[in-house]
Amino acid sequence: MTRTSLRAAAALLAAALAQPALALDQAETDALVKTVDQRQRSSGDYKALCYMEAKERDKTDVVYELVVYRREAEEKLMLLFTRPKSEAGKGYLRLDKNLWLYDPSTGRWERRTERERIGGTDTRRGDLDESRLAEEYTARWEADEKLGAYSTHRLLLDVRPGVDVAFPRIRLWIDAASGNVLKRQELALSGRLMRTSYYPKWKKIFSESKAADVWFPEEMRFYDEVEKANSTLILIRQVDLRSLSANMFTKAWLESKSR
Amino acid sequence: MTVIDLQIAARNLTKHTKRNLFLGGAIAAVTLLLVLMGGLTQGMRTAMLESATTLMTGHVNVGGFYKVTSGTSAPLVTEWQKALEDTRRLVPEIDYVTIRVRGWAKGVSERASMDLVLGGVDIEREPRFRAALQVVEGSIAELGKPDTVLLFEDQARRLEVKVGDAITLSAPTSRGVNNTADLRVAVIARNIGILSSFSAFMPAETLRRLYRLNDRTTGVLHLYLKDPARSAQVAARLRSGLAQAGWRVMDPDPRPYWEKLFAKVNAEDWVGQKLDVTTWEDELTFLSWILSAVLGITGILIFILLVIVVIGILNTLAIAIRERTREIGTLRAIGMQRRKVLLLFLLEAGLLGLAGTVTGALLGLAVAGGLNAAQLPVPESIQMFLMQQHLTLAVPLRSVVADALFVSAVTTAAAIVPAFHAARLRPVTAMHHIG
Repeated sequence: MTRTSLRAAAALLAAALAQPALALDQAETDALVKTVDQRQRSSGDYKALCYMEAKERDKTDVVYELVVYRREAEEKLMLLFTRPKSEAGKGYLRLDKNLWLYDPSTGRWERRTERERIGGTDTRRGDLDESRLAEEYTARWEADEKLGAYSTHRLLLDVRPGVDVAFPRIRLWIDAASGNVLKRQELALSGRLMRTSYYPKWKKIFSESKAADVWFPEEMRFYDEVEKANSTLILIRQVDLRSLSANMFTKAWLESKSR
Repeated sequence: MTVIDLQIAARNLTKHTKRNLFLGGAIAAVTLLLVLMGGLTQGMRTAMLESATTLMTGHVNVGGFYKVTSGTSAPLVTEWQKALEDTRRLVPEIDYVTIRVRGWAKGVSERASMDLVLGGVDIEREPRFRAALQVVEGSIAELGKPDTVLLFEDQARRLEVKVGDAITLSAPTSRGVNNTADLRVAVIARNIGILSSFSAFMPAETLRRLYRLNDRTTGVLHLYLKDPARSAQVAARLRSGLAQAGWRVMDPDPRPYWEKLFAKVNAEDWVGQKLDVTTWEDELTFLSWILSAVLGITGILIFILLVIVVIGILNTLAIAIRERTREIGTLRAIGMQRRKVLLLFLLEAGLLGLAGTVTGALLGLAVAGGLNAAQLPVPESIQMFLMQQHLTLAVPLRSVVADALFVSAVTTAAAIVPAFHAARLRPVTAMHHIG
């Protein structure tokens, strides 16, 4: 064996031995998931302008504009569609554990499942809501790996018993440097991959209520892994963390905006 | 009424052959149309009852919904064995029962996707199911194997699959958690109208696995009665009986379960199990509009034609009275009572009506028989509405007789006013009439 090959073997051995040292233990993994939630939490009110572009096979691409309102302390969420004209005035409102959809063309409220596809796209309510990963899932470190230029921790999250979520198992790629989620895979009960999401751009904004920065993904890309041709792009703009009006999260308010 | 009265009426009719043939022909045409349209709607109804009560619904169904939260519902019956026990106790008229799993999922192939209303069947226990379908490709026996699916021709075409290809079903479980099942297309069946545009069938166990149902939970109990005509009474009895047995039972609502699932149940503020007792007619209301539409169009056509016939009769009798005024005057002068004159004209119209309707009814029976014998294929675009692949008219003799009697009665009734007018003529005035 030559000196060069000995060096290569030694390097490989060192790399193999070094790998477990990079692994996160359970406490670190749990902490990391909590950090992911914490970084995105504003603990006050939240308002953002959102553009949602849905692509479906054999259908014309549709772009929606909507405003997302959240009051995180009370777990309230409201989505108000403003464009296109045909969708303007439609809105979702979460009151307690119920998600309601308002259709101004009929003037009726319909109770929908919390796991509703927003506007029939690949977007779920959870994508626009507060991150509650630590509350809903138990995490396990899987590997540390490169995702493009980024070094990431790959975690596997399984739903906690008794918690109802759209996807019982998700896999996250978390940027080791920033703690931002860069990629997410969602799996069905059968284990089949249902959706892959990418979060290429993150931004931060200072929150007075939190007295710290709040991070939000400026761009989210969802790829349907069952219907491969379907995808949705979400752009989040004009995030505003100032307090919202006290009586906003009501059916009456949403109806008034729909007129 | 004597034979002479009949002879006089018949002679008067034959005297004006051309006019009366025309009018009688119109009456025959109305009867013919009535018989044929009645045969068509009855044929559709029979086809619907035969295919739908095998594929989609029992004569009476004990289904229901289970809601984990107010906004998450699924078409389920929990503790179905107890529900079946109570049902058998309450309905001694049951011939047999089939247990089905109900569901809804998105079917995704390599190239396309579509929404499917799913029926989970146990093919070994449902021999009638095989008989209700015509296989185009594959074998129905294959549906006994797990992870298989039966699609109809249109669905296979839309999903661009053939037997042996795989499709993925994607659906949320009753708790709203996403799940999938990879299935092999085992059978492609011939379309059977609108039912086949969205319904697909798979082994009950596979569907149970997709929805993660336990042994105590199923979709619906299909009850088949010895006498399907008693469905409504049995359903009403079951509703009250099951409620007394401690079940929460939904109020009657004549809509198919999937329409209630999407449009009604989620909006209601309750959780847990509620049973929903329906009849086959409730479950097929989405089809009955077609029957109603055909009946409506038939009604309008018949009405227009009857109005034309009535005007024809009024006109014919008015002419006849005018032509025979002196004859009426003479008859009245030699002692014929007014009532008799009235009866004579009514008899005339009645005979004309009877001859026309009998001809129309016989023609109708012959045309219906000819069409049935010819086995005319129904274009696929219309199959959806007619629920038939070959045009089949069901013409029960009782309804033909009823149609003929109805048209005869209308034509006779139309003669009352001119006959009354003829009867009121004064003999002297009538005899001096120059016409």
